[in-house]
Amino acid sequence: MNNGRLYRRIAVAAVLLSLLAGTVLMLILGKNPFLAYYNLLQGSGLAPKAKYAAARSMWTDLSSFIDFWTPMIFAALACAVAMKTGLFNIGISGQMLVAGFLATITIGYSGLSAYLAKPLVILIGMAAGMAVGALIGFLKYRFNINEVVSSIMLNYIAEYIISFFIQTRFVDPVSRQSKNIGAAARLTLQDVAIGGYKFSIPLAFVLAVIACVLVKIMLDRTVLGYELKAVGANRTAAGYAGIRVGRSMIVSMAISGALAGLAGVSYYLGYFASIQPKVLVSTGFDSIAVCLLGSSDPVGILFSSFLIQVIAKGSTYMSSQQGLESEIVSVITGLILLFSACSAFFMGLVVSRKNAKNNTKDLRFGDEAETAPAAVTAAVNRPAEDKGGEEA
Amino acid sequence: MQTQTTTGDYIVEMVGITKRFPGIIANEDVTIRIRKGEIYALLGENGAGKSTLMSMLFGMYEPDEGEIFIRGKKEKITSPSYAASLNIGMVHQHFKLVSNYTIAQNIILGAEPTKKLLGFIPIVDEAKANREIAEISRQYGLEVDPTAVIEDVNVSTRQRVEILKMLYRNAEILIFDEPTAVLTPQEIDSLLGIIRALRDGGKTIILITHKLEEIRQVADRCAILRRGKLIDVRDVPGMDAREMAALMVGHEVQLTAEKSAAKFGDPVLEVSHLVVENEEHFQTVRDVSFTVHAGEIFSIAGVSGNGQTEIADAVAGRLKAKSGTIRLHGQDITNMSIRQRTLAGISYIPEDRQQVGLILDFTLRDNLGLKDYHKEPFQKSGMLNQPVFEENSEKLIDGYDIRSANRGSTMVRSMSGGNQQKAIIGREIEQDASLCIFVQPTRGLDIGAIENIHRQIIAERDKGKAVLLISLELDEVTELSDTIAVIYSGAFGRIAPAEDYTTSMLGEYMMGVAKDNAKNGGGNE
Repeated sequence: MNNGRLYRRIAVAAVLLSLLAGTVLMLILGKNPFLAYYNLLQGSGLAPKAKYAAARSMWTDLSSFIDFWTPMIFAALACAVAMKTGLFNIGISGQMLVAGFLATITIGYSGLSAYLAKPLVILIGMAAGMAVGALIGFLKYRFNINEVVSSIMLNYIAEYIISFFIQTRFVDPVSRQSKNIGAAARLTLQDVAIGGYKFSIPLAFVLAVIACVLVKIMLDRTVLGYELKAVGANRTAAGYAGIRVGRSMIVSMAISGALAGLAGVSYYLGYFASIQPKVLVSTGFDSIAVCLLGSSDPVGILFSSFLIQVIAKGSTYMSSQQGLESEIVSVITGLILLFSACSAFFMGLVVSRKNAKNNTKDLRFGDEAETAPAAVTAAVNRPAEDKGGEEA
Repeated sequence: MQTQTTTGDYIVEMVGITKRFPGIIANEDVTIRIRKGEIYALLGENGAGKSTLMSMLFGMYEPDEGEIFIRGKKEKITSPSYAASLNIGMVHQHFKLVSNYTIAQNIILGAEPTKKLLGFIPIVDEAKANREIAEISRQYGLEVDPTAVIEDVNVSTRQRVEILKMLYRNAEILIFDEPTAVLTPQEIDSLLGIIRALRDGGKTIILITHKLEEIRQVADRCAILRRGKLIDVRDVPGMDAREMAALMVGHEVQLTAEKSAAKFGDPVLEVSHLVVENEEHFQTVRDVSFTVHAGEIFSIAGVSGNGQTEIADAVAGRLKAKSGTIRLHGQDITNMSIRQRTLAGISYIPEDRQQVGLILDFTLRDNLGLKDYHKEPFQKSGMLNQPVFEENSEKLIDGYDIRSANRGSTMVRSMSGGNQQKAIIGREIEQDASLCIFVQPTRGLDIGAIENIHRQIIAERDKGKAVLLISLELDEVTELSDTIAVIYSGAFGRIAPAEDYTTSMLGEYMMGVAKDNAKNGGGNE
């Protein structure tokens, strides 16, 4: 309840602090930090640039930013569902690739009409990701193979097998990537002319927002979500309560995989139209940071993915406008990520300050200590519970 | 209440101590003075403020008001390490040991004797450590094998290691926090012997407990705390147990549960030739057969680790039976899932309330629905019905007097052990199952709570439920049971009506000294 509020406040503070750290760095380098941050916004289409090339505008930049943002939302949601069940899905990139590849070769290269092709792309993407995810869950349940190991291995398997087929069957001789898919199958409408500008309209973004809402409802309001969270919080107790732990893990990984599949199709058949062989996109790995920054909460993820993607997309423009070396830009984005990721630490800091008021050193002690400073104990053990005091 | 002067007679003086936590006063103007070389007991219910008071002496908290004098000198004890430098040591209720280190390594951890290898490389002098430890253990009768690894030794040895840790650090003032909560009767006796030996060796002992019997056996003086206040300090010789109990809880306590004669109904649980193996294919339960009838409290008595919890887990479905059958109302449930058994009418209060019975990071409301969430009206077509959860939680919180900071919204982790147990018991009893399994239902709870739980167990029986009670507390077993089975090394030594046993007989069967043929069980049939 209130824990969410405290967490949000700290996340915001962490982001502000990181921007401050970036500011200091840029001042040392003799750059104008405000301008640099403004460039960041310009680069990602959130602020108008001084001038645009033909058929571009701030709004077209923004639409392409949203297109870029979409796969990250799906991927971070995929991570969150697994995380809530106590599983670590590090195979999101591989699941994205499998989904993207299968949708590309089945629908992408078919001549189906847009009304048929787009839903099919989405369905095939979900199904493919779900199958890979469920497989990882099954391996864990049946053979007790750690999901981190199996998903990393599956990442490699997917990467190399798919590269083999792309390079032997589907390669575009010029780009050395898979051949571009047909426009009918693409989830982003390209070059839609509105008022003289050409927009790319990411249809999957609507789906991503809906997915956020659905995952939130699933986790908070359904029997399934209750079971998944129970398994994530305490597997033994979940089993004692009659929850089938193995089944919950498979279901969780299947849902996670399906979301990763959506990330895959919105990336390979939306933002891009082709697949680069022998490369796993970083989105799947970055999504873990995004998920943690958003405290594994779908609404939090909407914000954290936005922040991360603004930085990712705007930093090139910032570096070119400010004459900053791209390495420095990486340092600044790294700082932002670092501070944001440390929000859990800041949380602990806030909590222990609160404790200091009670002269409390070790709260995990004895039965009575548990009764007495109930609220404080909770806060230490789980930096979540916040009670009255912090308002002061 | 007493004058603020200090004299040299006392080694520890805590004067006018007040400690507040948000919403609660843990200690209010408490003054205790402890003489050098005495065993000073702190008696009180859970939540009376005993541990908090000692935590301040051990430097884990600082008092809001009041002063602490050690050896007549005023001290501000800011940390456990400062407390250690004042020769204060504490044996915690939950041991703080590294499980894959040897006993010697655990004892010296943080205070390792070093020697110089080749004259300049500092290394731990394990031989010296072993020698010193052996000497200390001989001195106080604390036999341990310094080279044994912690995870291989039993609870009472681990406790000895904790004691040795303090002695190794030259502790003069030793605080024991509920040291007997985890021990068997024999182990308790030997621990009390050790405590006496420590006192005779010149140490000052502070014993936190809520067991009157122990205080009577070893303590010299006893301070009684109730709701954070010091009620009285008594000399133990010549004290009256009943009066002490009354002072402790604030009203007369019935030390024996009142129960009417049992009216046995039909057999509810029939276990025959049950064998359970652990992961190493070791038979933890060997060919056990018994029957529990409606309206019967069937207890399994025994020293911890003899297979009794495995029986409970096998009946509840948490462990698979290697062979044998388990029937509930004549229906074979041997291969049913946990959920199916729950629905067939088994409720289960597990031994480990924090790891098994509850999800600590869930709210109390969600925990109280842990067994029901999948049933209507808790859910409708897959969607949870929050108002029903809330209603259920309000009903149980009031019905079972579960105390927590924010009622249903409290994280269970922040609740006290007693209230966590009340939550499990409330939830399980409300299942209205025909068989109720209680494993160690009152472990670590205070007299008031124990009394309450005992009443509830008897009430369940009187409602015609079959009760399977597994407890290490002999008093509990003899007080409540209609039938007692004594387990030793995975097999029943005897099954007989409770009145056929004397306490010493129980002890003999528990230690495997006496043995009947109870194989085809049902001395109660």
